[in-house]
Amino acid sequence: MNFLRKGRCAAAGTPPAYPLRVIRLGLWLLQRERASGEWHVLLLALIIGVGSVATTGFLGDRLKRTMSEQGASFLGADLLVTSPRPIEVWPALSIENSAPKAGSLATSQALEFSSMVTRKDVFQLATVRAVDAAYPLRGTVRIASRPFAVGTPRPAQPPPGAIYVEPSLLSLLSASVGDEVQIGEARFRIAGVVAEEPGQLGGVFGLAPRVFMRADEIERTGVLQPGSRVTYLYQFAGEPGQLAAFGTALKPRLDSTQRLIGSREGVETLRGAFANADRYIQLTALISLLLSVAAIAVAAHHHALRHYDQAALLRCLGATAAQLRSLYAIQLLALGLLGSMLGVAVGALMQQALALLILPEAATRLPALGLAPVGAAVASGLLALAGASLPALMRLIRVPPLRVLRRELPPLPVAAWASAAVSGSALLFLIAWYAGDARLVGVFVGALAALAAVLILLARLALLAGGGVQRMAHGPLRFGLAQLLRHRFDSTLQLGAFTLALFLVALLALVRSDLVAGWRQQLPPQTPNYFLVNIAPQQQQAVAAYLSQHRLQASALYPMVRGRLVSKNGVPIADTLPEDARNSNTLRRELNLTWTATLPANNVVLGGRWHGERHAAEISVESGMAERLHLAVGDQLGFQVGDQTLTARITSLRSVKWDSMQPNFFVIFAPGQLDALPASAIASVYVPPDAARALPGFVKAFPGITVLALDKLIANIEAVFAQIIGAIQLLLGFLLAAGMAVVVATLLASLDARRQEAVLLRTLGAQRAYLAKGLWSEFIALGVLAGLLASVCAEIAMALIAERLFDLPLRLHPWLWLTLPTAGALLVGMSGWLTTRHITRVPPMQSIRALN
Amino acid sequence: MTSPVRTRFPAESTRSLQSPGIVSARGLSQHVATADGILAILSDVGLAVKAGETLAITGASGSGKSTLLGLLAGLDQPSAGEVFLLGQRLNDLDEDARARLRAGRVGFVFQSFQLLPALTALENILLPLELAGHPGARERAAYWLDRVGLAARAAHTPRQLSGGEQQRVAIARAFATDPEIVFADEPTGNLDADTGARIIELLFELNASAATTLILVTHDDALAARCQRRLHLVAGRVA
Repeated sequence: MNFLRKGRCAAAGTPPAYPLRVIRLGLWLLQRERASGEWHVLLLALIIGVGSVATTGFLGDRLKRTMSEQGASFLGADLLVTSPRPIEVWPALSIENSAPKAGSLATSQALEFSSMVTRKDVFQLATVRAVDAAYPLRGTVRIASRPFAVGTPRPAQPPPGAIYVEPSLLSLLSASVGDEVQIGEARFRIAGVVAEEPGQLGGVFGLAPRVFMRADEIERTGVLQPGSRVTYLYQFAGEPGQLAAFGTALKPRLDSTQRLIGSREGVETLRGAFANADRYIQLTALISLLLSVAAIAVAAHHHALRHYDQAALLRCLGATAAQLRSLYAIQLLALGLLGSMLGVAVGALMQQALALLILPEAATRLPALGLAPVGAAVASGLLALAGASLPALMRLIRVPPLRVLRRELPPLPVAAWASAAVSGSALLFLIAWYAGDARLVGVFVGALAALAAVLILLARLALLAGGGVQRMAHGPLRFGLAQLLRHRFDSTLQLGAFTLALFLVALLALVRSDLVAGWRQQLPPQTPNYFLVNIAPQQQQAVAAYLSQHRLQASALYPMVRGRLVSKNGVPIADTLPEDARNSNTLRRELNLTWTATLPANNVVLGGRWHGERHAAEISVESGMAERLHLAVGDQLGFQVGDQTLTARITSLRSVKWDSMQPNFFVIFAPGQLDALPASAIASVYVPPDAARALPGFVKAFPGITVLALDKLIANIEAVFAQIIGAIQLLLGFLLAAGMAVVVATLLASLDARRQEAVLLRTLGAQRAYLAKGLWSEFIALGVLAGLLASVCAEIAMALIAERLFDLPLRLHPWLWLTLPTAGALLVGMSGWLTTRHITRVPPMQSIRALN
Repeated sequence: MTSPVRTRFPAESTRSLQSPGIVSARGLSQHVATADGILAILSDVGLAVKAGETLAITGASGSGKSTLLGLLAGLDQPSAGEVFLLGQRLNDLDEDARARLRAGRVGFVFQSFQLLPALTALENILLPLELAGHPGARERAAYWLDRVGLAARAAHTPRQLSGGEQQRVAIARAFATDPEIVFADEPTGNLDADTGARIIELLFELNASAATTLILVTHDDALAARCQRRLHLVAGRVA
């Protein structure tokens, strides 16, 4: 017999080898079932989830590559030293000494400071970088003749009497190239716009637009006074060996306010900071993928249920468990690859939209799409798919062949721990991959679990309430609500998923519209809205006179000296602090020190006694700073001011109301200690709208004084905020889509039962319109419930954020309670109706046959 | 066995050369645990079927007919007793080994047809051929579809076919791999009398020309009468 069988095969050619055969069979069956709803949902959910992570993956990769490809040109030099004071003495291997040698270090010096730029009656704060002819040592500056043109590479140093400006300054001043503007006491012609400069990706965070001027023309402006805030930039380029020796020699000489940045570490630092931000955005995207996992799991589970018969038949026809496993695995793999690739395509399109949203100016300069994110996105997609569908698959291959005779036989149970372990480890791996470190994984998983628990609880409560309504309702509404309550698991999942999506979208919209505006609103009227900075000692009287002449209400003028806290009770301050407190910002930058006999308004002494008129070496310290740096009344603090060292004893601790818009200080000296030091003064002033005309006059009269418009500053912050939130909202679009996929997946899973019921009802005489109304009621109720739950969550979250972070009073948002339920009803209603509409249209007879 | 080269598709009759006892069972029992204790579905059933023979297993509902069929086909394991199928002792084989034994060598016809809804009539016949890796599978499937008189319905899905047509496709599927034995579970159970009669004709005609062993479960006396032998079960025992 065996011989006969072999002979038969041989007579008609060799069949394909076993693995190939199973692969072929799997793909063939998949292709035949391509019209099946579950496959569509699975594919759709995968496209949404992968699209979400691919979008952020692509953009993050492009930004990271921009940074590393630019290398030294990113920093503008091989080595950069920044300092708040000029550095006079350089290490032995200094520029002068090494100049005659071959391969000596090239150098460039620049100064950076804030100043007003005025054109006619319009003025704007700008960040001025005064450069020499050598700047930049590495990389290119491109100057263009009009905004957003490509520009030609040119030195950053403009010709005498001219400046280069960032494009945004032109629009802020309503100026164009060729116009004249005033900086301090000098006039300059705008000779071009900066199209590209080292280290700039485009003005996301540029609150004050950049201006390039010649270093040798600073004096002409008269802007820099003793005590002005200036950053000195020293750039070096040369051979690695020399640079290293130079860096090593220089490092010990720098204090904590001065920084030495190598091109690699410069990029690394930036990249590190960026990687962190990127990671959080990636995690946001991951939420969409995880929600898609829920949709995939439901679809896969239902697909398995519908294929028990198929699997049993294949077993009966001689397929081994291994063959079945390969057959279904290859189907899953094929779908996974298809869905992931389509998701990647969606991501490739969306990342460009995202790039334009957050980096409007630099989007065109980013490198082309990379291949690495494709791999990552496809791998994420496959992993998510595996995690979501393997439990269902595991059950499918455990169907007993006897089911062909006894259809009620269920598949052999798969141990719950096994399914959970398979899914759990796949998802955990996915999260760990995106989160990077164990702590973040813990936080993310914990937050996710807590959120899921809260959502499930809320959904259950909402369904209970729905039950109450159902008992009172009539007709189709009663029928619809009954459906909602009957499929309790499905409804909970749908409610949870949709509530999450709506909640996050609403929360971001609220944060965007509410917080800044709310904070602004709660400021008392006549809160100062301008800061006057850099008032020279000889100007102080004239400034006070000008203000009172124009009836402008100003705070006291506070003299300001910049100094660094260096010691406590004779010990270097860092040594007195535990490891984690040493990195405090207060230690890394220079503090603004002032002196006054009068306790400033809004300050309250919490401990010790205010020094008052006493001329003694005494200081008052802000309580938050005291806490951070473990300072107490009685401590003797040492400050480095210029080349002088001062010591003073803490005699009081104060609370400061930081949002009072008054000049506020961490450290206030008693009179007499700092008087001899070069100081410039600061004041805040309230300029009512009708007196705004006085300001251009002020800027003209005192060109060296920096006028900070708080309104503009806040508006700028709001704009940046809006950009970032806009980008995240784009990602939340994916989340909303994933929520809809969950709804569709769960509905599809219940479609057979629903069809059966509809057929029965129609046979019993129910009209099509009745069924349709029933369906609509169900979905609209679901959407409205999700919207209401999301409103509750958003209100609570907003109240917490407002109270904890911004100290704002509780405020409800009535429009939210209208918008979210409407949006929910619309979105869920639409997806629900599209999924189920045909069950009301099929004639009962046809449906009955289909069910058989 | 001298000539392995045969006409391209079926199967006239080398089957008589096969060894006797293509299916046999001894002391076969099947018990299930229920809430009320152990329930005996089959008790001490023995039988032997020679190659090419036709056997009807009859009995009332719940007499254990389908359970016996399942055990003989290796779809389930008995609580006690032995089953031999195609020369192999099934008790010694695990689920996968039994599946491998069935592949291409055992055909099935079910009461509920068990056609895959996504596949066309032709493709349903193709399925076991693809699974067993038959050469020229598509031509073979087309040939069998023609044999059951449904060549014109090749591209129709089960949903577009009547019950009788579906069962014809199922019969074609059972014979397409040129099996040595066909198990049929109430093949006319879901059909009206006329259609059922025509299905019986077809089944026996194909069985005769392929000289296949046929074991069928039925409670239809007319159908049982067509078989060479009959095994009547009463409450799980051979009557």
